[in-house]
Amino acid sequence: MKRYFRIWAALAHNSLRTQLSTKMASGGYLIGKLLRMGFFLTYLMAIFKQLPSLKGYSIHQMVLFFMTFNLIDVAAQFLFRGLYGVKYLIEEGDFDKIITQPAHPLFRISSMGVDFLDLFTLVPVGFITAWALSKIPGGVTPGGVALYVLLIANSLLIAYAFHVFIGSLSVRTHEFESAIWVYRDIMTLGRFPVTIYSDLLRGLFVTVIPVGVMVSFPAQALMGLLSWKGVLYALALAVVLHLGAQRFWKTSLREYTSIST
Amino acid sequence: MRKYLTLFIMSWQKQLEVRSDFIFERGRSLAVLFSLYYLWSSLLTNRADVAGYSRSEMLTYVVMMTLLRAWVLSNVTDRIPSEIAQGKLSDLLLRPISHFGYWATQDAASKSLAIGSVCIEMSLFVFFIRPPLLPPTSVAAAGAFAFSTLLAMAMYFQMSYMLGVIGFWTAQSWGPRFCFEVFLEFSAGAYFPVDLLPGAAQKVLAWLPFPYLVFHPLSIYLGKAGPDQWLSILGHQVMWIGVLTLASRGLWGAGLRRYAAEGG
Repeated sequence: MKRYFRIWAALAHNSLRTQLSTKMASGGYLIGKLLRMGFFLTYLMAIFKQLPSLKGYSIHQMVLFFMTFNLIDVAAQFLFRGLYGVKYLIEEGDFDKIITQPAHPLFRISSMGVDFLDLFTLVPVGFITAWALSKIPGGVTPGGVALYVLLIANSLLIAYAFHVFIGSLSVRTHEFESAIWVYRDIMTLGRFPVTIYSDLLRGLFVTVIPVGVMVSFPAQALMGLLSWKGVLYALALAVVLHLGAQRFWKTSLREYTSIST
Repeated sequence: MRKYLTLFIMSWQKQLEVRSDFIFERGRSLAVLFSLYYLWSSLLTNRADVAGYSRSEMLTYVVMMTLLRAWVLSNVTDRIPSEIAQGKLSDLLLRPISHFGYWATQDAASKSLAIGSVCIEMSLFVFFIRPPLLPPTSVAAAGAFAFSTLLAMAMYFQMSYMLGVIGFWTAQSWGPRFCFEVFLEFSAGAYFPVDLLPGAAQKVLAWLPFPYLVFHPLSIYLGKAGPDQWLSILGHQVMWIGVLTLASRGLWGAGLRRYAAEGG
């Protein structure tokens, strides 16, 4: 465990130095991300000035869904961004080096692109979440907060499983680089509660493409709107997806053929 | 002309080389469409209108906006900075082809693929979801919308070319480019109609070229801008194309003077 933390710290340090050496690019990205969040909030506020609620959710509850989406998206990028570049590692021959090193390749690759810029965006996410929570009638209970934290961790496990699935596809086919961006875009469907979607899509979003489980469930749990069945389902789904992704990774590694060592 | 045609075909081949990536890339636009379509559909279920938009008008706006995102806001000029940084530009400068024409051709090839692809995606969306789509208010409005969209494509190309040329000054232009594109998408109306914003923000945006990329063409389509306003919108677009052309030519000239062919 200690060895893995040292590896993560060394790789994270490298990422930080890279980002600090490209201040203009990093600054542009950071401002862009904050702008996107700010614009979305501005539009949401403007829309809700004219409407009392959406499917029973107030503006503050909608903001909570949006902030939960941001929290999971940002945390997943911070932790797993390295897995975006599996195809590049294969093409450059670096993948061969990584799989021969004495550390789990998935851990090693995931930790390669620790995105510190995303950490800064968590600051406004935290403040806005606190503001939205303070405006929700009745507030939240300690149990709700504990469930929220648990389900956020659960969502990160699901996010990790998807990153591993997509990385494995690249290992097998040397293609599907764009698949990770499709995943990111599908995640954006969780900016709003899944109850706004049609029955068919809602069904998809809690099973095949579990955006609802990842984003809506934690926010609903925080507001005391999620049943215990929902919590147990989310936990079971994460375990199944995680085990499936690990198995897919292993079989993909067996089928891997080096192309540029 | 023939060389540009060859370049156009080669660009198509290159983009379709890894078809899985192309298909996935196209699939990305559907996420924005679905999220906004269902947001507005839910918001307007029991209401006559929001900010003067009826349910049909808003859902038409969302669907047409997705088309304009592919037609107007797609670009390939984000590759220019790396071309400059790696010195590949030297090779291009020696060829009997203009740099602007080279990228305009590649952009046209990319847009033609995007147009074809988004038409298929939208047909499937309309077939399965059956949104209450409104046609243009008149034949003249359809013509004005088509012309305005063409002008918007020219405007956006000039903007994105200018952003690419900034690569002469810094190899890190992708950060500011990302920031610019985020600002552009929201202020162009590529997520929500600009007239939903507070009045002060609308006044500021009216001085910028961005709403002329998506919002104003769609205002013509939906009849929000009447025939008496068409000339003003089209005139503003032509004016902005002129300004942006002058700016991008100026930047290109200034950049070329400082180009040191590093790595070339």
